[in-house]
Amino acid sequence: MFQDDGSSSVTSSSSPLQFFSTMSPSLGSPYQWLRELKSEERGLYLIHLLLSCANHVANGNLENANLALDQISQLASPDGDTMQRIAAYFTEALAQRILKSWPGLHKALNSTRISSVSEEMLVRKLFFDMFPFLKVAFVLTNQAIIEAMEGEKVVHVIDLNAAEPAQWIALIQALSTRPEGPPHLRITGIHPQKEVLDQMAHRLTEEAEKLDIPFQFNSVVSKLENLDFDKLRVKTGEALAISSVLQLHSLLAADDYASLIALKNSLLANGYGYSQSPDSVSSSPLSPNASAKMDSFLNSLWGLSPKVMVVTEQDSNHNGLTLMERLLEALYSYAALFDCLESSVSRTSMERLKVEKMLFGEEIKNIIACEGFERKERHEKLEKWIQRFDLACFGNVPLSYCGMLQARRLLQSYNCDGYRIAEDNRCVLICWHDRPLFSVSAWSCRK
Amino acid sequence: MSQDHGLSVPSTLKGFVQEPNSNPNPNPSSNQLKRKRNLPGTPDPDAEVIALSPKSLMATNRFLCEICNKGFQRDQNLQLHRRGHNLPWKLKQRTNKEVRKKVYICPEKSCVHHDPSRALGDLTGIKKHFSRKHGEKKWKCEKCSKKYAVQSDWKAHSKICGTREYRCDCGTLFSRKDSFITHRAFCDALAEESARFTTISSTNPQAAAAIPQFSSVFRQQQQSAPGSELAGNNVIADGQKPRLPLWLDQANNSNAMLTPIGSSSTGLPELSQMVAPMNMFGSLSQMQWFSGGANLSMSSSSSLPRGIPKEEEENKAYNLSESMTSLYPSNQSGQQQQQQQQQQQQQGLAHMSATALLQKAAQMGSTRSNANNSTGFGLMSTSFNSFNQTDKNELHKFFKQPNQQVADNDQNLNELIMNSFSCPTNMGAVAGSSNASLLMANAKNASNEAERRLTRDFLGVGVESSRPLSQQELAKFMNLSSQYGGNPHHRS
Repeated sequence: MFQDDGSSSVTSSSSPLQFFSTMSPSLGSPYQWLRELKSEERGLYLIHLLLSCANHVANGNLENANLALDQISQLASPDGDTMQRIAAYFTEALAQRILKSWPGLHKALNSTRISSVSEEMLVRKLFFDMFPFLKVAFVLTNQAIIEAMEGEKVVHVIDLNAAEPAQWIALIQALSTRPEGPPHLRITGIHPQKEVLDQMAHRLTEEAEKLDIPFQFNSVVSKLENLDFDKLRVKTGEALAISSVLQLHSLLAADDYASLIALKNSLLANGYGYSQSPDSVSSSPLSPNASAKMDSFLNSLWGLSPKVMVVTEQDSNHNGLTLMERLLEALYSYAALFDCLESSVSRTSMERLKVEKMLFGEEIKNIIACEGFERKERHEKLEKWIQRFDLACFGNVPLSYCGMLQARRLLQSYNCDGYRIAEDNRCVLICWHDRPLFSVSAWSCRK
Repeated sequence: MSQDHGLSVPSTLKGFVQEPNSNPNPNPSSNQLKRKRNLPGTPDPDAEVIALSPKSLMATNRFLCEICNKGFQRDQNLQLHRRGHNLPWKLKQRTNKEVRKKVYICPEKSCVHHDPSRALGDLTGIKKHFSRKHGEKKWKCEKCSKKYAVQSDWKAHSKICGTREYRCDCGTLFSRKDSFITHRAFCDALAEESARFTTISSTNPQAAAAIPQFSSVFRQQQQSAPGSELAGNNVIADGQKPRLPLWLDQANNSNAMLTPIGSSSTGLPELSQMVAPMNMFGSLSQMQWFSGGANLSMSSSSSLPRGIPKEEEENKAYNLSESMTSLYPSNQSGQQQQQQQQQQQQQGLAHMSATALLQKAAQMGSTRSNANNSTGFGLMSTSFNSFNQTDKNELHKFFKQPNQQVADNDQNLNELIMNSFSCPTNMGAVAGSSNASLLMANAKNASNEAERRLTRDFLGVGVESSRPLSQQELAKFMNLSSQYGGNPHHRS
C-alpha cells in the first residue's frame, strides 16, 4: 500500500496523504517531517487523526480507518509524551473495535492472553500509590462510617470490592481510638478472586489483633453481578455500612440495542413527541433493560437497611450511546489522568507504563471497543448517580467538614498542585485542575 | 408471637421458668403466676367436636336485631338489646344438666388442628388461630412494619416494640428473654470470638497505650503547631508525617467552600481545639497511614528536587523497576528524562499537557453553526495540502478560531463530529471522494455498499445482518428526536 519512499499513485488533491507524496522528494522518508513536529503540533495532529479515525470507524469506513491508524501509529507511542501515550491506547482500542467485525480474528488474537493475578494486584497497588484518588475516597468513606456508627457496639461493614487492605486498616486504627472504645467489627469482603480475599483477611486480622479489637472477616468469593445477598449474613437490626469503590457502574452493562430498538419503536409510535438528550436515554423508562440489573441490585442493598452507604465512582460520562460521544468524553478524562502521571512520575518509569497500559488502557479498550454486556466501564456523572439513588429511595448524607479537611490535607501531602477537591450537592468531587475525575457520596435508607 | 402451636422448646422453657417458684401452698392452680398449659390441641376425649366453616368462624356480629340491624357477637347481648325495642326477649338459661364440652377444629385441611384429636377447646382460640395461620395480615406495626392478622396480637406487639430489652453481642435485638437466651447459645459471633480469644494471649490497656503512637505523635505535632505555624513555613521538614500547620494554613487560605468552625478565618486556636475533642484523632490517624503511603512514592518535601527522594524512599519492588528503567531506551525527541519529574521543567521544554492540547484543538476546531457539513471535514483535508508551507500558520487556518469558552470545548468537538452526521448523504460523498483519492479503487456505489455491510457487522460483534440499526441510523434518529426536543447539541 505505502511504498517506503512515500510515492503513491494518489492523484486527488484533497487528502492528507497527497501531502506526503509532495513532501517526499525533499525529505528522505515520508514521515521525517512528522518527527520534526514540535510536540504541541504533533499533539494537535494526533487529536485530529484520532477523531477522524474514530469517525471512519463509526461509519464503517474501514479502509479510511486503517489509513488513519497507520498515520497515528507513526506518531503515537506508549513511552512518548502524554498525547502520544493517549493516542497509542485509543488507537489500540479503535483497532480492537474494528477487529470485532471479524469475530474469528478477534478471538484468535485475544485468546492467548495471560492474566496474572499478581500482576493485577500490583497494578491496583500502583494505582493506589501513585494517585490520591483512592486514598481520598477511603478517608471520606471511613469518616462517614465512623460518624454513622457513633455509639454502636457492633459494626458490620460490607466492601463491594475488597482489594485494598489499607482502607480497612485505617478504619480499624481509627475505631480503636474511639473514646467509647472500639466496637465489635465485622467486615464482609466481596471479590471474584479468592487469593485477594485471603490476603486481605490475613492482613486485617493481624492488624486487629495488634490493636486488640474484636474483629471478624468474612470472605464472599463472587462477582458483583451474581452476588447472593444471603451470603452476606446481614443480621436484622445490626448497624451496617456499605462501601462501594468504583464498582457500581459495571452493573449498568446491558444489551443497549434491545432497549434502543424499543426506544425507536416508541418514538415512531409517539410521532417524535418525546424529547430527551442522548445522554439520558440509557436510563430512561423506555429502556427497561438498561437499568434492570442496577435497580434490582440497589433494591437489594436497600433491603439490607444500611446506616450508611458510601459510593465512589468515576465522574465522567463514558456511557454514551454512540462511539463518538464516548470517545470524546474519554479523551478528556484520560487526558487528565495521563496528565496527572506526567506531572508526577518519570516518563521512563515502568510502573507508570504498567498503570497506563494495564489499567487505563484496558478501561479505554472497554469503553471504545466493546458494546452491550461486554462494556463494563460505564462511568456516569455524579448527577445521574444522584438521580438513581434518589429513585431507589436512598437519602443523601452530606459528607462532613471533618472528612473534607482530612481529604484536602491528604491532597496537599501529594505536593502536586493539580489535585483539587470540590463540593457538589453535598458530595465530593476529586478533580485534576478543573476536570472532575471521581465522585464520593454517602447515602442512607430513606423509609 | 404465636409460639403455642406444637413447639416444644418454648413450653419446656416456660416450665423451666416456673420451676424456681417455691410455693408451699398445696393448691397449684391458684397461686402460680401462670397456669401451666398443656400441649395445645389435646382435647378431652369426651368432648363434642364442632366443625365450623371459615365463614362462620370469621363472622362477627352474627346475631342481628331485626329492627335496627345492629349486630352482636352473642345471642345474650342481642336479647338484652331487644328489650330496648320493647320486643319479646328470652335469655337462655344455663342448662342444669352436664354441659358437654365443645372443642373446635380448624377448617383448613392442611392444618394440624383439622384433625379432631388435635382440636382446640376455645372458640375464641380457634378464631384467632385461623386468622393468624390462614388469614391475611391486616394489622401493621408502625415502628417495625411487622404484620399481624389478629388485632390483639398487634396491640400487644405495639406496646413492646422498640422497648428492646435484650441485645446479643452480634447485634440482634430481642424483646423476650427466652428467645434471647436461645439465640445467644447458638450465636455465631460468640462462638468465633471465644475461639479467637483462646488462641491469642490476653491483651490489655498496654496495647491500647501503644496504639496512639500515631495519635500521640500527632498530639505532639499539634502542640508545636501554633509556634511553627506562625513561621508560615509550608515545608515539611519531617519527611514522613505531614504536620498540622500545613492544613491549618490551607484551611485558612481555602475558598468559601470550607467554612471554618471558628467564626473568623484566622481562628487557628479554635481549629486546633476543635481537633482535640472530636474523634479526629482516630480519624486523622488514618490520615497518617495514607500519607505515609503517599510519601513512599511522592516526595513530600518541596525543598528537594523531586526525583531524588523518590528514588531513596522506594521500597524493593520499585528498586527493581528502577534498575530496569535505566536500561529502558528512551526515544523521546531529545528528552532523556529519567530523574526529571518536575512539571515546570517539562513545561519549560514546551510540553503542553494533554488537557490543554484538547482544549486548544477544540477551540480551533469548532465550526460555525452554518458551516457546510461536507466542507467541515473537507476543509480540514484540503488545508493539509499546504501544511508544508508554514506549520503554525496553516494550523491556524486549518482550525477556525472563534473565541469559545473552555466549557464549550467538548461541545465544539462534538458539534464538529455531529454536524457531519446530520447529512449522511454528504458523508457518503466525502467518503466516496476520499476513497477515490486514496485509490482504494472502489466505485462510489460499491464503497457505499461495502460501508453499509461493514457497518452492520461492525457494531455487532458478529450479530446477524438483519439488525436494522446502524451507527448512522442511530445518530440520525437521535438527531431527529432531539430536533423536536431542542437538544442543544444539535444545530439545524
